[in-house]
Amino acid sequence: MDKSMLADLDSLPEADKQRMTVMIDQLQIRDSLRMYNSLVERCFNDCVDTFKHKSLQKQEETCVRRCAEKFLKHSMRVGMRFAELNQGAATQD
Amino acid sequence: MASNISPSALDKEQIFGMAEKEMEYRVELFNKMTQTCFKKCVDNRYKESELNMGENSCIDRCVSKYWHVTNLIGQLLGSGRPPM
Repeated sequence: MDKSMLADLDSLPEADKQRMTVMIDQLQIRDSLRMYNSLVERCFNDCVDTFKHKSLQKQEETCVRRCAEKFLKHSMRVGMRFAELNQGAATQD
Repeated sequence: MASNISPSALDKEQIFGMAEKEMEYRVELFNKMTQTCFKKCVDNRYKESELNMGENSCIDRCVSKYWHVTNLIGQLLGSGRPPM
């Protein structure tokens, strides 16, 4: 979640600020858990195809690590572009 | 109990409710955009952990187009016209 939501809290009375902060924290926790679950699902589906062994093989582990790293970098980049669009910045085609 | 709630307190409840829904919507929009663009732009063979140049370009364009589609559909739904 972007920090601009937090910036708007400063003008609120203390009790309301507290309530809004709790709301944002809960949303953040829920969002993190959801991302964790969906990342596991995606990387498992993309990286694990055979079940001759019950332990993760070296190639599978490498694939999972790369999948997760790529997704996190992707998510960061999407976040930057999303923020730009929210601010109404013009982007080149 | 209704008589104990002042009008301004009721307004505040509605405002908080709307604020929460708005935040949930934005988070959900971001998540769907992220998932969709990852699926469309990133090679799922994961030959390396860095995003390559083509993937980066695709991601930027995907985000922009997804944003425009979101706004376009929002307009169509909001206008009350049945989808063509």
